[in-house]
Amino acid sequence: MGSSFGGINTALTSLYAQRRGLDVTGQNIANANTEGYTRQRVQMQSQVGSLSPAMYAKTDGLGTGVAVSDVQRLRDEYLENRGRTEHGASSYLAAQSASYTAIEDAFAEPSDTALAAQLRDMWGGWNDVSNNPQLSAPRSALIQQSATVADQLNAAQDSLSRQWSQDRTQMSAYVDDVNVTAGSIAQLNDSIIMANASGLTVNELEDRRDLLAMKLAELTGATAAKRENGGMDVFIGGSTLVTGTTVREIDVTGAKRLQDQLSGADPVRLVWKDEPSSTIQAGGKMGASMDTMTTIIPGLSGDLTSVTDNLINSVNAKHRDGFSVDGSTGLDFFGRNPDGSVTVLIKDPDKVAVAGASGTLDNSVADAIADIGDAADGPDREYQSMIGRLGVSSQGSTRRAEIQAVVTEQIDAAREGESGVNLDEEMTNLLTYQRGYEAASRVLTTIDSMLDQLINRTGLVGR
Amino acid sequence: MIGGRVTEGSIHTRVLANLQRNIAKGAKIQDQLSSGKQLNRPSDSPAGTVSALQLRGETRTSLQYTRNADDGLGWLGTLEQTLGSSSTLVNRARDLTVQGLNSTTNGAQANEALATEIDQIRESLVSYANTRYLDRPVFGGNTTEPVAYDKDGGFTGNAYDPADASRTSVSRTVGSNVKVRVDMTGPEAFGDNTDVSADTTGLFRVLENVSAHLRSGDNAALQHDLTSLDKAGNKLKSAISEIGSRYNRITQMKESAQDRLLSVTSQLSDIEDIDLPKTIMDMQLQQTSYQAALAATAKVIQPSLIDFLR
Repeated sequence: MGSSFGGINTALTSLYAQRRGLDVTGQNIANANTEGYTRQRVQMQSQVGSLSPAMYAKTDGLGTGVAVSDVQRLRDEYLENRGRTEHGASSYLAAQSASYTAIEDAFAEPSDTALAAQLRDMWGGWNDVSNNPQLSAPRSALIQQSATVADQLNAAQDSLSRQWSQDRTQMSAYVDDVNVTAGSIAQLNDSIIMANASGLTVNELEDRRDLLAMKLAELTGATAAKRENGGMDVFIGGSTLVTGTTVREIDVTGAKRLQDQLSGADPVRLVWKDEPSSTIQAGGKMGASMDTMTTIIPGLSGDLTSVTDNLINSVNAKHRDGFSVDGSTGLDFFGRNPDGSVTVLIKDPDKVAVAGASGTLDNSVADAIADIGDAADGPDREYQSMIGRLGVSSQGSTRRAEIQAVVTEQIDAAREGESGVNLDEEMTNLLTYQRGYEAASRVLTTIDSMLDQLINRTGLVGR
Repeated sequence: MIGGRVTEGSIHTRVLANLQRNIAKGAKIQDQLSSGKQLNRPSDSPAGTVSALQLRGETRTSLQYTRNADDGLGWLGTLEQTLGSSSTLVNRARDLTVQGLNSTTNGAQANEALATEIDQIRESLVSYANTRYLDRPVFGGNTTEPVAYDKDGGFTGNAYDPADASRTSVSRTVGSNVKVRVDMTGPEAFGDNTDVSADTTGLFRVLENVSAHLRSGDNAALQHDLTSLDKAGNKLKSAISEIGSRYNRITQMKESAQDRLLSVTSQLSDIEDIDLPKTIMDMQLQQTSYQAALAATAKVIQPSLIDFLR
C-alpha cells in the first residue's frame, strides 16, 4: 500500500512536467522566426515505484507520477546532410554563372560598339585607303581605327586579368572565413561533448553548429558527420577539416596574377596549410572561384590571344610585302609591347603600305588586307566563334544554376517543415500543457481535501 | 514533400521563392521591353549571337561595297564623259580632214586654217587625256605623276600590264571577291602614241600627221591619215563601250549590295529585336499572375490558430 501522501508527490511531478512543457513551448514560440532554430519537444515518461521489491518496500504497481526524460531536438540528420550537399552544389553553380555573366559584360557583344564592330570599321578603313591611295587622310583614319582595335583587345585582356585578380583576393578572404568557421565548430564541439558527458541538453549550441556547417558547405562544398559523443566532423573533398576539437587549416598558394597562372609554372591551388604539396578539390563558392581561375578565364584569355595573334600575323604578313608612299617596305603594322599588349607600330600615315610595287599608286596590298575581314580563317570569324562558345557555356551554367536553385529550395522547405516551428501546433501544445497543469492542481486540491477530511474531521464523534 | 509537415517557415520559404521567380521573370520582360532587344548578351541565345555578329559584319561589308561602288562610279563617270567629248572632237577632226581632201581648189591659206584647227583639237584631246579625278590622272594607271601625257602627247603614266606587278589597274571591290577595274590607261583609249611613223594609229600622232600633210598639201598621205584616224576613232569608241559596260556592272553590284543590306537588316532585326505585341502580352500576363500571387500570399499567411483562441 502506498503512502497517504504519495498522491501529492504524483500531482507535484505532473505540475513540474507540465510547467516544463509550457516553458519549452514558450521557447519554440519565441524562436519561431530564428534562423536555424530547431523546434524542441518535451519527452515525458510515466514513473513507477521501485521495481526490485524488498521485504518492507513493496510496490503496489501504481505509478508515481511523471518525469521529463528529455527535451528533444526535432531535426532530421538525413535532410540536413542533403541540405548541405544541395546548398554546396547550388552556390557552386550560382558563383560560376556569376563569373560567366561578368565575362560576358567584359566583351559586351553583340553591339554596334564592341570589338567585332571595331574590327569591321578597321577593315572598312583599309578599304578606304585602297580606294584613295593618293590621299593621306584615309591612312591617318586607318591608324586611329587600328589603334582603337588594339586598345579594345588590350582592354578585354585587362578585364579578364582584373576579374582573375578579384577572384584571387576573394579566395584569400574565403580561406580566412573557412578557417575561422572551422575553429568555431571545433569550439562548439568541445562545449557540446562536455555537456553531453554531464547529461545536459545543449540544443541551441547544436543549432548554431548546424548553421556554421551549412556555411562551410556553401563555401567549400563540405560534408559533415556526427559522432556518438555529440561531436561533428567536417570534410572537404574527403579529407577532414574538423575532427572533434581539432582543426586542419586550409590555405591558397600559387600564382598571384593571371600572367603567372598562364605561364603554368605555379598555378593557383587550394592546399592544407600543414601539407603545401596537397591539393584540395573544393566545391561551393570556392570551387567555382578555383574553376574560374584555373579553367574559364585562362581558356578565354588563350582564345583572345589566338584571335589577336591571328590579326597581327595576317595583317603583318601582307603589310610587310607592300610599299608605302615614301617607298618604305618590309614594315610590320601591328606589334606587341614587352608586356604582351597589342600596339600599332605604324604611326606615320606615309609609312602605311598600300601598293604592291614601289613608286606606284597601286592598291593591291591594302585591298588584300581589307579582305582579311571576310576570310574564313580570319580573326573576325575566330572571334565570333569564341563569343559563341562563351555564350553556350554561360547559358548552360545559368540553366544548371536555376535548376539547382529549385532543388535546393525544395530541400530547404522540407528542412523547414521538419525542424521549423508551427505556431498552430505550439498553440495547441500551450493549451494542452495549461489544461494539464490545471488538472494536476485539481488533483492536488482533491488530495488536500481528502486529507483535511482525515486529519481535521475524523474522530470527532460526540464532540 | 518529405514528412508532410507544414510550418509557417516552410510556407514562407516557398511563397518567397515563387514570388522571387515571378518578379525575376517580370524584370527580364521589362528589360527586353525597355531595350527593345531580346538578345542582350551571348547567353541569351548563343546561336543567335553568332548569327547577329555575322549579320552585323555583313551589314558593314554591304555598306562598304556601296561606298566602293560609288567611288568606282565616280571614276567611270569621269572616264565616260571625257571619252565622249574626245570622240566628238575626233569626229570634227575627221570632217576637217575630209574637207582638206575634197577641196582641191583650196588655197594654201585655207589648208593652213584647217591645220590650225586640227592642232587645237589635238591640244584639247591631250588635255582631256590628262583629266583628273580626286587628284589622280584617270588615264595614268597607278602612276604617282600628276599627268598622264606630256604636252607633246607622250604617255608618262603606267600602262596596265597584268603580267607586271608594278603595272596594276585601279580596281574597286564591289562584292565578295568581285573586283571591277575602274580606270583605263591612255594607250587603251588613245592608242600607241610612241610610234611616230606614217602608219601610226596613236591618236595624237595621227593628228600631227594630218596637220603636217594639210600644210604640205600631200593628198595621198592625207588619204592614208584618214584611214589611220578612223582606226584611232574606233579604238576610242570601243573604249567608250567598254567603260559603259563596266559602269553598268558596278551599278548592278551596288544595287545588289543595297538589296543585301535591306535583307540583312531585316534578318538582324528578326534575331535581335523583340516581338513587341507578344512581349507586351507576356508582360501583362506576368503582371496578372504576380498580382494574383501577391493576393494569395497575403491571404495564406494571415490566419492562425491565435485568431480563434479566446
